[in-house]
Amino acid sequence: MANVAIVTDSNSGITQAAAKELGIYVLPMPFMIDEKTYYEDINLTQEEFYGKLAGGAAIGTSQPSPEAVMELWDKVLKEHDQIVHIPMSSGLSGSCQSAMMLAQDYEGKVQVVNNQRISVTQRQSCLDARLLASKGMDAEKIREFLEADKFNSSIYIMLDTLYYLKKGGRITPAAAAIGTMLKLKPVLQIQGEKLDAFAKAHTVNQGKSIMINAIKSDIEKRFGGLTEDKHIWLQIAHTHNEEAAKAFREEILEHFPGYDVHIDPLSLSVACHIGPGALAFACCKKIEA
Amino acid sequence: MGLQKIDAKMLTKMFLAGAKNLESKKEWINELNVFPVPDGDTGTNMTMTIMSAAKEVAALGETADMIAICKAISSGSLRGARGNSGVILSQLFRGFTKRIKDEQELTVTVLAESYEKAVESAYKAVMKPKEGTILTVAKGIADKAKELVEEGCDDVAEFLRQVIDHGYYVLSQTPEMLPVLKQAGVVDSGGQGLMEVLSGALDAYLGKEVDLSLDSPAGKSAPASGKSSLEVQAGAEIKFGYCTEFIILLNKTFNIKMEMDFKAYLESIGDSIVCVADDDVVKVHVHTNDPGLAIQKALKYGALSNMKIDNMRLEHQEKLFKMSEKSGEPLPVELSDTKTAKVENVKKEEVPPKDFGFIAVSAGEGVNEIFRSLGVDYIIEGGQTMNPSTADILDAVDKVNAKTIFILPNNKNIILAANQAVELTTEKDLLVIPTKTIPQGIAAVINFVPDMSADENEAAMIQEISNVKTGQVTYAVRDTVIDDKEIKKDDFMGLGDHGILSVGTEINAVAKETIAQMVDEDSVLISIYYGNDVTQEDAEAFRSEVESSHPSCDVELQYGGQPIYYYVMSVE
Repeated sequence: MANVAIVTDSNSGITQAAAKELGIYVLPMPFMIDEKTYYEDINLTQEEFYGKLAGGAAIGTSQPSPEAVMELWDKVLKEHDQIVHIPMSSGLSGSCQSAMMLAQDYEGKVQVVNNQRISVTQRQSCLDARLLASKGMDAEKIREFLEADKFNSSIYIMLDTLYYLKKGGRITPAAAAIGTMLKLKPVLQIQGEKLDAFAKAHTVNQGKSIMINAIKSDIEKRFGGLTEDKHIWLQIAHTHNEEAAKAFREEILEHFPGYDVHIDPLSLSVACHIGPGALAFACCKKIEA
Repeated sequence: MGLQKIDAKMLTKMFLAGAKNLESKKEWINELNVFPVPDGDTGTNMTMTIMSAAKEVAALGETADMIAICKAISSGSLRGARGNSGVILSQLFRGFTKRIKDEQELTVTVLAESYEKAVESAYKAVMKPKEGTILTVAKGIADKAKELVEEGCDDVAEFLRQVIDHGYYVLSQTPEMLPVLKQAGVVDSGGQGLMEVLSGALDAYLGKEVDLSLDSPAGKSAPASGKSSLEVQAGAEIKFGYCTEFIILLNKTFNIKMEMDFKAYLESIGDSIVCVADDDVVKVHVHTNDPGLAIQKALKYGALSNMKIDNMRLEHQEKLFKMSEKSGEPLPVELSDTKTAKVENVKKEEVPPKDFGFIAVSAGEGVNEIFRSLGVDYIIEGGQTMNPSTADILDAVDKVNAKTIFILPNNKNIILAANQAVELTTEKDLLVIPTKTIPQGIAAVINFVPDMSADENEAAMIQEISNVKTGQVTYAVRDTVIDDKEIKKDDFMGLGDHGILSVGTEINAVAKETIAQMVDEDSVLISIYYGNDVTQEDAEAFRSEVESSHPSCDVELQYGGQPIYYYVMSVE
């Protein structure tokens, strides 16, 4: 049985500490802040990041350098036979594309998964990969499995403000057009490649209801409805908004009694585009392995 | 009274007289409004509803049969219905005409049964029928009618007199059934309106002098576009539909008496009569609804030649249609008129309809702009001071090219008219979101999610509007007492979703108190839409006051530009 390692990047929300516990390897995403390079969870904490963001610092994201990627892979391959590499969504970053190119030199030992996940759903993919590996599946089969499973997840994000989104330009025109005369909070959807407008809310409560209804509808229409065996993972992500996230969990549990709801901070490369105060609600269909 | 039955001609007369009588009392009925807000409009709404039917009835002329009259009353009032009382009135007529349309003459028994049908139909139109209203008065009349029939009454005049007397008695009891009426010291305005219609009709039956001309119809004319409204307009303006011309080639002497008889006959079937005798020919011109009658009569005097009959209603429609077209260029060939019309239609159909559209009833340029910026396709101007009719809503539906259209009435008095529009629409799916205020309408459209189904959206919107509390600040038009609050003319009042929240002589104090009544610990957002009569500086000063009184809430100020209400405010 092949010894398969799981590698991801810090967009998965898996911290270096958590990675050690899980036996997963996490590439830190680099940030350029006022022309200096920082690495998420290495020399840049969430607190520092939001402090600089609020201070109006020029923050740029970048993908891990080929050197850093290959260094990590080489190190991991000394202890493992194969790697399943799960980068952030190819729709939001070029890092997936780069990794696929780099993997060509590894004779199939490194399988790069292009399943367009981000944050809590990317994290779930890593956990799923880990489970599949433990059951003896090899890297290529795991990649195929995860790619076939890619649409079995859904994320909705309510933003506190449109400011950062507009500043970064990383949204579709439809989403940018949400700005009206009223102070509205956009609710975005990550589905496949793009971050796109889904709905809008006037109050936080409206936004939360919209997200809960949307997830319910996805589960009903795409994931086979709610069942007794609770075959759905539920997750909350947030940007610098932990109290609200915890309160949101209580509200979600009223609609989904008995479910586990995992909470993570949103990864900083998403946060720098949407700003603080955002709340996301996501679900993934549990895999059947 | 020899006549013990009502024939079609008499029914027309009675209906028009009822309509006229209601119209003459409309201002007075407006003032019976419980809330002393400057929007008392029951009289206006009922009048506009019945006038829409009266115009169609009058256009039929005196020779129309029962079926035609019933159709005119029913469809005219349904389409013209505006306001809750108007919608209920239109449903009373609908039920009434359903029963009588197959009769040649109406006896007391038929009348009693038709009243029962009317009441049945009206109660069905209202989701939560309330006693102490026009419904109760109508029901009282129907019950009395049944009782009279059982007692063997067969004299129409006596029957009508007694049911009307009883109707007035029930009306006088409405304050006992609805405490708000009692406190305000009024009877139900809708019930009063119904009694005016019936009283006018009785007067006509008894042969009292009644002016039946509809030369000063109330309210605005039908909108100048949309096929259906043109039909109404065309039908309303042309009393006799066929322009009939011919020459009689006399086979006997046409003496003065024959000429007089013939003219009198033509007058009984039409108007615009020309009848010129010249030795052996008579030239005849008449506008009538039955050219055959004129021809048959003429055949008694000789053979006919140079016959020409035109349908003026169709011509009139074409003219109106032409007028409504933007290009004023003369068309080279006569036929091209219809051709362009067809091309237009095809073009309209070629644009594929979008899945969802929105129609909102709104008043005030600021509020209209907010609705538009949120994606509302069509705004029906109206609301508090002018309730749009079912026909207005149908016209709007015509203009929105979408498969499913959400309608936001934004006023509790418009919801029924909107529901009625749903029943009259077959080609598109209409969903009425029962928004009772402008802020509820705004909340509904904000919470629309394009990716969700119509039903899911409807459920979510209805859920959200229940989370929006609305308070509206206006002034009192008379002294009264409501909810144990004494109100003087020209006082300012804050009206909440369920009654008066605040009364006073200082506008900002009243507005602030209104907000304070609505805010609770869960409130997060206060929205203020300032009206036409408030300056921006005053509104911003008011916003600051609200912000300091409610630090835990976001306060949003928007220019609404609405009439009558200084501030429309919501708390979510």
